[in-house]
Parts: sequence; C-alpha cells; structure tokens
Amino acid sequence: MDSSLFLPLLVSCRLVLAIVPIPLINEFQHDHQLSSPLTSYPRLKEGLWLYQHDVDPYAGGVFRHSPLLLSLFSTVLPPLPVIWALCDIVGAWALLRIWRARQRVGKGSSGRDSLVAAVYLLNPYLLLPSLALSTSTFENTALLLTLMLASEGNRSPALLALAFTTHLSLSTFLLVVPVLMLLVSSPVSQLASPRPFAGNLMTACKYAGEFIAYWLVLIGAASIMAGGGWGWVRETWGASLTLPDLAPNPGLWWYFFTEMFDHFRPFFLMVFSVHLVIYILPICIKFQHDTLYVSFLLVGILGIFKAYLTLADPGLFLSMFVLFPEVYPYLRHPIVTTLLHTHASLLLPLFHALWVTEGRGNANFYYAASLVMGVAGGAGVVDACFAGMRIAIGDVVEGERGKWEVVQE
Amino acid sequence: MKPLPDGRVISTFTFATLLEGAIPRDPRDLELPAQHYSLFPLTLGQILREYSITELHLSLNAGKWNYDKWGLPEDPSVGTGAELWAWMGDGGPLSIDERWVGLRNALAGLFCASLGSLDARRTSSPSTAFPLSSTRSSPIPHALRYASLPSEHVCTENLTPFLKLLPCKSRAGIARLLNPQRVFDSDWHGLSVHVLSTDEGVEMRLSVQAVLDPVRGSAGKRRDWSFQTLFDRNIDVSCPVANSSTIRVVVSNNGHSLSPDPLVVDNTAALYDLASQIPLDVSMAWPTEHTFQYPLPPFVPLTPLSVKRTLHGSSQTHGVLFVALSNNENHDITTGYLETLPALVTLWMHTMKIEVGAVQRDDLISAISYHPPLLQPNGLHAPSMLQAKLTIPARSTLRLSIDVSKAFLKYTEHPPDAMRGWDLPPAVLFPVSVPLDGEHRTNNSLIYTGDTGGKTIQDRMYTPTLLVDLATPDFSMPYNVIILSCTLMTLIFGSIFNLLTRKWVIVKLTE
Repeated sequence: MDSSLFLPLLVSCRLVLAIVPIPLINEFQHDHQLSSPLTSYPRLKEGLWLYQHDVDPYAGGVFRHSPLLLSLFSTVLPPLPVIWALCDIVGAWALLRIWRARQRVGKGSSGRDSLVAAVYLLNPYLLLPSLALSTSTFENTALLLTLMLASEGNRSPALLALAFTTHLSLSTFLLVVPVLMLLVSSPVSQLASPRPFAGNLMTACKYAGEFIAYWLVLIGAASIMAGGGWGWVRETWGASLTLPDLAPNPGLWWYFFTEMFDHFRPFFLMVFSVHLVIYILPICIKFQHDTLYVSFLLVGILGIFKAYLTLADPGLFLSMFVLFPEVYPYLRHPIVTTLLHTHASLLLPLFHALWVTEGRGNANFYYAASLVMGVAGGAGVVDACFAGMRIAIGDVVEGERGKWEVVQE
Repeated sequence: MKPLPDGRVISTFTFATLLEGAIPRDPRDLELPAQHYSLFPLTLGQILREYSITELHLSLNAGKWNYDKWGLPEDPSVGTGAELWAWMGDGGPLSIDERWVGLRNALAGLFCASLGSLDARRTSSPSTAFPLSSTRSSPIPHALRYASLPSEHVCTENLTPFLKLLPCKSRAGIARLLNPQRVFDSDWHGLSVHVLSTDEGVEMRLSVQAVLDPVRGSAGKRRDWSFQTLFDRNIDVSCPVANSSTIRVVVSNNGHSLSPDPLVVDNTAALYDLASQIPLDVSMAWPTEHTFQYPLPPFVPLTPLSVKRTLHGSSQTHGVLFVALSNNENHDITTGYLETLPALVTLWMHTMKIEVGAVQRDDLISAISYHPPLLQPNGLHAPSMLQAKLTIPARSTLRLSIDVSKAFLKYTEHPPDAMRGWDLPPAVLFPVSVPLDGEHRTNNSLIYTGDTGGKTIQDRMYTPTLLVDLATPDFSMPYNVIILSCTLMTLIFGSIFNLLTRKWVIVKLTE
C-alpha cells in the first residue's frame, strides 16, 4: 500500500476507535491484564471524584496515579478517550522519529515509516490497554518521547521528558543512565562495530545534574498539587516498592507476595526491587557502543520484572523491536518467542476469567499463564541480547559453513 | 409480649438499673475512688469506670430482623451479629483508642464474645448516626467509637454471663422466663446492654429480644401461647429487690382471650404486675380459631420504610452494591443512610446512582460524606464510611447503586474457612433532623400542609448483612510459588549474565 496514504489512514482509524462506542469496553477497564491499580481508569475517575468532593484522594489506597495527572484531568481537561488516542499517535510519531534518527534519515521518508508506526499503533499489547484507558499509555508515550528527544540531541527537553517519565512510573529510573549516555553519544547503530564509549562522561554528569533539578521541580509541583503533603509518594511510588494491592496481573510480583510468609515479605520486596537495578550497569557496559539498544534491553527487563506489570510493558519492548532490523538475522529463536507470547496472551484472559469470574479454575492456573508470560518476555530479552552481540562477529562465509561456528567460550 | 399477624410472638425483656447520683468518670481524673455497688453489677461498673465510658451500647443478635412483618423493635439495636458503640470523654493519660481497645477486650471477657476482633479494621466513628443520647451536659469533649462484627453468633455462653449481671439472676422475677433452650430456639434472638448517663445517674438497661413461633411448636397449628408453651417455665417467684416488675401484652381486638385477667387493660395493651400476681403464667388464646391461617399476600408492611440491600454480580473482583428503599407512606420520608464497609470492599463513589423508577434523581441525596479506608498507624485499614441523607418520595422506591470491587488478600489474611466469604456489616438508616415544613413551601403558592414536608423514621433501622466472596489464592502453594518464580528469575538473570560475560570465539568443527 502507498505509505503516504497508509499513515493517515492508520491515525484516523485510531481516532475513530476512540470516538465510536465499543461494546464491552467497560469490562476492559476493569481487566487486570490491561491496567494495574497504578494505571487503571476507574481509579483515576474515583480520584477525581474524591478530589472534587474535598476528600484527600491519596488517603484510602484507592488512587495511585501521579498528582500531575490528577491536576491535569481535574482542571485542564476531562479524561476523554480521545486523549488516549492522541497519546498513542504521539507515541507512534516518536517511535518513527527515533527510527529516522537511528537511520540518519533527514526530513524525507524512509521505506519503513508506515511499518514502524503500524507496529506501534496495531500492537494489541499496546492498543488494548489504551482502549481500556489505562494510563500506561501516557507512561509509554513519555518514554518514547524521551528517547526521541535524546536521539535527536535536544538536551533540555529530553531531560525534562525523562523527569516526567520517571515521575509517572518510578521503575523507569532504570533508563536514566542509558538516556544520559544516549545524549552524549549518537543513536546510530553501532552494534556491528563495538568500540569503547565515545561520549564525554563529564558532560553526562552535568546532564544528570540538570535532570535531578527538573525532577525535584516536578516533585515540588506534584506536592503542591496534592495539597502540600507527601502522602502521595507512599501511594504512588511506594506502591511499586511495597506492593500493597495484590490484584493479579501478568507479572511475577503479585502471586509471589500473595503467598509470601509475612516475616519474609520486606526481604523479598527488597530483593525484587534490587534485582531490577542489577541489570543497569552490566548492560550499559557491554553495549556502551549503542546506548539506544541499552534502553531497548532495559525496557524489555522492565516488561518482565516490573511490579504492577500490564500488557503495555512487554508491548512496548516488542514494538521497539522494529527499530533494530539489523539484528533480525541473528535471533536464535524468534518463532519460539512468538509462540510463547501467543500462548501467554491467549491463556491469561482465559484463566483469569476461569478463576475470578467463573469461579471454576483456581489461582494457580492464572499464575501458570503469568509464568509463561515471564518466560516469553525472558526469551525475547535474552535473544535480543544474544543477537545484539552476535552481530559484531559477523557471518561465516557461505562456503565455510559447517566448518566454523561462532560460540561463546 | 407482642403477637404478630403471622402468628409469631415478639418477647422483649428489659431490665433497667439506675445507679443514682453516679456520674461517669472524668478521664483526666486519675484517682479511683472506692467503688461500692449494691444492685448495679460490679463487673460492668468496673469496666465503665476504668475506661471512663459515658455511654455504652452492646448488642449480640442472631438472625435477620424482618421489619416488614415484625414492625419496629422495642430496642432498635437489631443488626445481625455483634455491634458495640461507646461514647468516651476525651483527655487523660490514655487516648480514646487505647481505652477502646481495653473496653472491647474487657467486654469480650465479660460476655464470652469475640469482641476482640472489633479492631481498627472494623472501628469507625459515625457520630451523626449514633448520637450521644445522655442528657447530662458535660464540660469535656466526647468521642464515639463504633464497630460491628456481623459474623459473630450469640448463644448460651453469652446469655449466662448476661444473666449474672441481674440481681436475681434467672432464679426469680421476669428473668425466670429466660430459658436458653427456648430463647435460642427462636426465629430471631438478641441480647443487648445499654448504659446511659442521665440526670439521675447512670442507667443500665439489659434487654433480651426473641421472636418466638408458637405455631411451629404446636401440633395443632394454633397460635395460642402461654409462658409455659413459649419458655417451658412460668414466673413463680418475684425478684424481691425489684422496684417494679410489669408485663405488658400488646393486644388488638381480634377475638383473643387472655388469662389470668390483667390488672390494667386498654385498647392497645394489657398490663400485669408481678407484685400482686404471683405465680404468673400469662396465656393468650384464640378460642374461635381452629387452625391458624397464615396471612395471604399482599402483605402490608408494618414499617413506613422497607429496605432491601443486595450485592449484585457473580465475579470475585467486581460487583454492584444495591439498596432499595420503599416508602410505604403517603408522604416523603427523609432518612440518614450509613454504610461502613471494611477495606476489603472498595466503593467506587463516582459510580453512585440514585434512581426512582427508571429516572435518575440525584437531587434526592444530600449531605454526602465519604471517608475512604484510611491507613491506620498499625498498618490496618479502617473501614470506609459513607453517610448521606436520602429523601424517598411518597409511595415509591428509591434505588441506590454503587459499584464495588473486592480486594485480593494475602494468603495469611484469609480466615481458616476462606471459601465461606466475608460478612459485610449491615447498613444503618437513622433519623435525621428534617428541615422545618416552612422551607418546603413552594414558590407559586404559599399554602403548605404539615405532611408535605420531610418526615423521618422513628429510630435506627438495620439492613440485612451481606456475604462477599473474595478470590482465594491456593493455600498449599507458598513454597511452590517461591520456587517457581525464583527459578524463572534466576533463569533469565543467569542467561543474560552468561551472554554478557562470556567471550566470543570461532571454533573449527571437526568431523
């Protein structure tokens, strides 16, 4: 199809989806796969109701969204579905811009433009949470905007966007180091020719200072909007560290801490949180030549191990795969990963319904499906990690295959 | 004793003791003077004094009070399960909450009931619905603590300590009739203790209510009753320390005969006095009636308001709380509505809908006050509390619906019988001060009548309790989950670090 027509068509389809009433959409809003207590739309509405009736929305453990979203939707504009559609479109646009920056395509269009946008807009893992009006759409868009601005070298806007991203979702703190590195280096693919990090680390440190300044300003603004107190910190960021709400989701945390012995709970909460942080340095060091790829891998890690995971998190990782076509030939088991994802995404809603709606299955069924989801996410990240390094070794010449093999010692 | 149209008999026993001249202890007053009681029970007196209780209400009930068929009870505290509320003066070295903990543990010990479970997860202070009824004005501020435990059952082990608070126990006087085997066999039974401080002193009222069914007990399917048939006992001695002991039988002219002849009789009630009529076995018979014919529908409700409260939805995550209030009168009724729900059920206030017929009528609800389930310092969530004023139009039904979602609990938080579900406390309808009729004057006409304005209900009414089933985890899984989840984490972690740390080499394949 002609790409000049395809993109506007895609965008208008997304807008139409936001405007026409879709049956069962209210069921979507309560679905545990599509939105977590931190991102759910009914909770956002409840928070707005409480705020408008002079009750502290952060008092009752119901509202866990950022105070910035609260003030945005209570004063500037009401939470209409079309905002989610626009956010999706901005996210797709940002992904496209990242792609162009990576390919060093200027203003002109590259051959894969429509593919990149379609992979974002038509990814069911991203589209369904967005139709369910989960605020994970805003988090993903903010993250893509950050990467876009950083790829294009817009220092201050990128750092401000990074501050917003980490403010909306605490776990995206994993991406602070790669984004800073990306700002002082280039987004162009260097996977095939690894070399030591070229950027100036001192400049990166200065940028880190600027980021912290923005971040503190945002915290201050949020506190003022939340009524001057610090109660919102415990309810929003604290929730992703202490897991007060044990609603099921496709991630690994909820059943682990449902079944955890009370006296081990704080220890394992610490283990699960620190475990996320462990990945930052090794991946940053190994892939120092291509920091966009580092961000991609860390998004994948978040998509497996994040607290309050929803389908939107692995969805972002899968959509970002489109940025790195050079690694496709080196993927070891793309079909297995695809099948695992298919398996998980079919079983998750089925077992969820069997357990909580029908009351016939039990929690273990759903837990098993969420483990498959974890395996699928893991397979994707491990494969991406492998392919990202394998590409540097290059291919064995056609005639010599069978005589030589590239392996790890 | 009140015979009902459906053949049942409500028997209400009330034992009032007045401690003349006594005043509740000021909590700031640290010195405990010697206590001397003659008729007032020492065990209860000590508790009241220790925790400086101004007003105390405890009720333990089993069954659902059927307002439509039985009318309003003599003692309004008929909510299913245990309900405890106390007004305490503030100040002194111990905080209100510390004294509340002490009070409920002391009462749990005194009445052998699980009142200790009325912890912070169940405690709230809805002071409009449960006002301080003591008439004496006090210089210190007072605070209310209210808690309700719908799953508590009342049985003989509660009645025995209850009877011990009476000066004659159950050996003499009206309390002779409190035969546990018969009281706890009734369709509805409940015990309650009320302590009020009045101008004359501290008044304690103990009461037992039971709805007995003589038709069920009689082989001939007749509704005749006597003390002997209802309680298997009659009053053979009066309690010598009682100032007065009277028995009041509510009568209506429908062909019954009473024996022995009452001392005083009027259109509505017949009175007996134990001082002159001993031994006494009151019996009531309908000689013209061969077998009792149950009244046929349509039933006329005996109360101005009929209440229905249900939880819709089969899912274990979401549901709709649905309350239907029917006004049986020809004028509007205004009532207060109080819902206290433990934090395992979350109310979605933005989904609240008020409908009359099929028309949405948000103007009928006013003075909404909602307290979300606050996190207490001890890590427990207090119940959420919704209070509002509802106006039910004449001869119509008001439907209130709110979406709720049900919590997912840790496996250690579930009770041993997790599949049974959790009881939700009853909602309470309470009288509210209704604006003067003058305010209901319409603009185009200055004529108004007294009954167009708001009328309120006489006394508190309780809705039935609800059972909510929560999704349960598998209780045998803790080790398996730890093993499986950790295996997956180490698998991914190990693979990634394996890839990142090992050196790439090109090896020659040999045959």
